[in-house]
Amino acid sequence: MFTYRLELTNSCFGSFFPHLGRGLPLRHEGSTKPSKPFDFFGSECVDLALVVAAFVLAEIDQAWDRPGQDPPYLMVHYEPSSKQGAVTMSEFPISFTLEFPYTRTPGPVIGRFLTGLRDGRILGIRSGDRILCPPMEFDPDTCETLALDFVDVGPSGTVENWTWIAEPTSKHPIQEPFAFALVKLDGADTVMTHAVKASGPEAISTGMRVTAQFREERVGAVTDVYFVPEADAEKQSIEPGEGEVEITTHTISLPYTDTLYPHSARFAQGLLDGKFIGQRTRDGTVSFPGKGYDALARVVLTEADDVELPPVGTVLSYTTIAPIQYKGQTETEPYLTAIIILDGAGQTLTPQDIRNIPTDEFRVGMRLRAVFKPAAERDIDNVDNDWMYPSIGNVVDHWESSGEPDCPLDELPESV
Amino acid sequence: MAEDIAIVAFAQTPSYRKYHDSEPSMIMSLVEQIDKEVDIDRYDIDFTIAGSCDYLSGRAFAFIANVDGYGAWPPVYESHVEMDGAWALYEAYVRLQLGDIDTALIVGSGKSSPGKPLEIFPLQTDPYVSAPLGVDPVSAAGLQARALLESGKATERDFAEVVSRSRRDGLSNPYAQVAKDIDADTLLKEPYCASPLRKHDLPPISDGASAMLIARGDKARELCDNPIWIRGIDHRMESHHLGLRDLSDSPSTRIAAKSLGVDPASLDVAELCVRYSPEEIVLRQALQLGDNTRINPSGGPLCGHPVMSTGLTRVVEAARYIRNGDAGRGLAHAASGAALQHNLLCVLEGDS
Repeated sequence: MFTYRLELTNSCFGSFFPHLGRGLPLRHEGSTKPSKPFDFFGSECVDLALVVAAFVLAEIDQAWDRPGQDPPYLMVHYEPSSKQGAVTMSEFPISFTLEFPYTRTPGPVIGRFLTGLRDGRILGIRSGDRILCPPMEFDPDTCETLALDFVDVGPSGTVENWTWIAEPTSKHPIQEPFAFALVKLDGADTVMTHAVKASGPEAISTGMRVTAQFREERVGAVTDVYFVPEADAEKQSIEPGEGEVEITTHTISLPYTDTLYPHSARFAQGLLDGKFIGQRTRDGTVSFPGKGYDALARVVLTEADDVELPPVGTVLSYTTIAPIQYKGQTETEPYLTAIIILDGAGQTLTPQDIRNIPTDEFRVGMRLRAVFKPAAERDIDNVDNDWMYPSIGNVVDHWESSGEPDCPLDELPESV
Repeated sequence: MAEDIAIVAFAQTPSYRKYHDSEPSMIMSLVEQIDKEVDIDRYDIDFTIAGSCDYLSGRAFAFIANVDGYGAWPPVYESHVEMDGAWALYEAYVRLQLGDIDTALIVGSGKSSPGKPLEIFPLQTDPYVSAPLGVDPVSAAGLQARALLESGKATERDFAEVVSRSRRDGLSNPYAQVAKDIDADTLLKEPYCASPLRKHDLPPISDGASAMLIARGDKARELCDNPIWIRGIDHRMESHHLGLRDLSDSPSTRIAAKSLGVDPASLDVAELCVRYSPEEIVLRQALQLGDNTRINPSGGPLCGHPVMSTGLTRVVEAARYIRNGDAGRGLAHAASGAALQHNLLCVLEGDS
């Protein structure tokens, strides 16, 4: 039997990255023997207690998480019970941030609108007998291109619809509870979606009057302005900026947290244990690391397909790196970097640095053995679910000659 | 004259809060199910198309890796939409109309668990005046809910009744992630999160996938005994400015229904993409659905919302209902964008 502990966490947390842990609001303990570790929802013979626990958590976690907190998610830690041998399955959390700085030309209409906001004005555009705000380049009904006929609207207007955001996301323009509202500015015929700062949901209602407040620092973006109840508005004197807003930047930054997939976790655990674990595919070759499936045969692979490869391989190629000196460069002496394929593997490792074998003794076909670092010094920080090349983390201290004769050049193993 | 095209086989994963493996492996197990059900060699599938979104799990070119899931060797003729799988079905349907190929495999998949949907989805909106404000789907749904309340088209109790019925129906859906026997009175005691919405008016965050095999007339009959015929499929979109729309109505849905000639009296079942409870009321009114139509027997997206397959799963659920003999004719609906901006309808019918 495994003992398991189910935790609802609000952050990445794991035995190898304890510094990432940030509190455990909920915990359920019990025991079960999952037929397939990790995949507790998909597993066919899961202990009822686990299903109940998962269900309880799913209930708690039913809604799209309101912001300001990491999405809570389920993590399962499998620990061997005292009666069982040393079977350890741990989850390896990973986290990363995806960032793209978007730089856009707003064009002649939105550009004028954003320029207006920077200068403390709100501009609408004439479309037939209507004034559109925010302005558009075309008539939304006929799609006719509109003349650049701008009209000042606001700065006050009427709330036509609103929703109270009890917990703002980090992407919202106001970092305390606020309302998103559809505001029809005085002089405009259409409504604008924007943020209203108010003391609470009781302080906002449909039909109420609001007034624009411009931020002190304005960059020519829709976020240069927000709204407050008319009575709370402060009189502002805005100094116009120079020139037209011709570029708008919007940097998106999205955080992600995940855990290593089961096969990746077994691979990572193998590295920490000083072993190279790959997966045998249906054509007999060993994928190292495994992908959890065989892409050619299109079948899902399991732990039963795991194969331990020997820490011995053959040099397929190498090059000498002569370090160019620049600020921050830590290398001073030339060194080798080699493409090595482990015996039995279907693809090569990421280039491995070689510093202990003289350049003039190094050659293609040479047989090398990996010497692992002491267990306490091995780390898998650079292992994730998306290898472009098979990374082996920072677990190998160096490569040494295996003492075997070289592999003849015409017998070098094939690789991807 | 449109070609007769039918759904031959379909499959879906459960909605998982967190699927602890890769998206390709999730797809692979699904496609294997379809292969087992239908006597077709995977090399004989003429066209493959998937709907997915790299932003969900933050993995650049994840849609390329997903090709592993349906098997890319030898090279397959395939396409991809950065939309719900229901739109992949639309493209496949249109592709088969050309008449030169017979079969298409459609996959919709997504893993929302690694990211923060509320921060990702504002990126779907206008990049100049909406996205920088972080206008997210929950906030848009909150505005839609109030538009319904203030136009007198619904009450908060109506929202709660949708949730209560859906979550109860979810109890008999093995693929549901969230299901519960809970009455509207109890739900109405919960606090607001995006007023007038309460947390239970929102869908869960889910990982999941669905898939189907469609085929032209004779081929469909050859591959299965009870093809589910696609009698029509259409999709329409509204403005990207919330302010230019009547949020208490769905004219795009109405136009799509009209173009398909949907007769609400003929529909035994409707699987609607109700991600937020007020959406059901908007859709029911736009489609003029009456008591003769069973709405979301699966519980709908309120019981499981695997983004990018949620819409395709509605087609799967409606097809399942027909294949089980519980309905003769049904409607599946998929939605995209904020507050039902973009709507797709698909009319299905069994062999009578």
